[in-house]
Amino acid sequence: MDANAAAKLAAGLGMGLATLGPGIGIGYMTGRATDAIARQPEAVGEIRTTMIIGVALAEALALYAFVIAIFLAIVVK
Amino acid sequence: MAAEEQGDKIVEALNELSVHNFITLPKIGPFDFSISNTVVYMWVSAAIVLIFFLVVTRRLRKDPDRLQVIAESLMNFATGHITGQLGPKGKKYYYIALTLFAYIFTMNIVGLIPKPLFMRAVTPTANINVTFGLAFVVFCVTQFQGFKRHGFRGYVGSWLTPPGVPKAMAIPLNAIFFVVHLMGELFKPLSLAIRLFGNTIAGHLVILVMLGLVLKFSSYLIAVPPLAFVVAMNGFEIFVAFLQAYIFSLLSVIYIESAIYAGH
Repeated sequence: MDANAAAKLAAGLGMGLATLGPGIGIGYMTGRATDAIARQPEAVGEIRTTMIIGVALAEALALYAFVIAIFLAIVVK
Repeated sequence: MAAEEQGDKIVEALNELSVHNFITLPKIGPFDFSISNTVVYMWVSAAIVLIFFLVVTRRLRKDPDRLQVIAESLMNFATGHITGQLGPKGKKYYYIALTLFAYIFTMNIVGLIPKPLFMRAVTPTANINVTFGLAFVVFCVTQFQGFKRHGFRGYVGSWLTPPGVPKAMAIPLNAIFFVVHLMGELFKPLSLAIRLFGNTIAGHLVILVMLGLVLKFSSYLIAVPPLAFVVAMNGFEIFVAFLQAYIFSLLSVIYIESAIYAGH
């Protein structure tokens, strides 16, 4: 297997595996946020803001892998 | 052979993301100052933000009209949400938070408006160099504020172990703490850059690959679901543009505040 084929395989496989962690994290975070809103409905604004910040930070971890995957798939010849 | 030609249509759709030089200037060492379409759209976004705020501040009146309401709500958003955690010392950071937020949001939106082909539209933040430049500005501001407020010994001293460790254990622990903290300080602005770049480029890539698929199949019936998805994805991109601008400015303010606070 030459370098080009190995790089493209690694890009696809790596990106797929990298979405597992943030998927679990964001799902758990949204579930806990829903519990918190059900427990105290008048704090909806703050809970929503905190959840959005948490989602953006967890999403960034998948994006680090995305940047490496793009580099492997397009730049490596 | 036919599959290769049709696969090339997807690659051709991705040419929308390429950088095109309008005026090519010679390179000075490693720096290339040619005027590309990314640079032109950065200037356009800066001009939009500047003209908007200039126009609003010339015509301030007690009974606000619509433009002033937009500007005031932007200012309240920056001061309330973003710098609210700094407390009363946060007043001087209103401007950097508001500038970063308005500029990054405008740059993201400029790339989503449909324009004719000769204008060579591109989103400036879909270029890692642009986001890295913004993150470098934040890095410089944090280090400068840290060194200004605490002096050299105080600021670098806050990167070592907390006081109260016996002397014999202190030296290897100091080294470990210092290296870990240094890597963290270098990584935090880099993560800001990659987060903004990755979110913007991922949205654009999904839209362009879907459009390439539509070109590849060349059939009216099969083209309907991808086009509906592309419309929905453009709407989602507007939300992502706002969210990523907010996250960038919020995290910048948090990093500046942690450099000023410096753990004591």
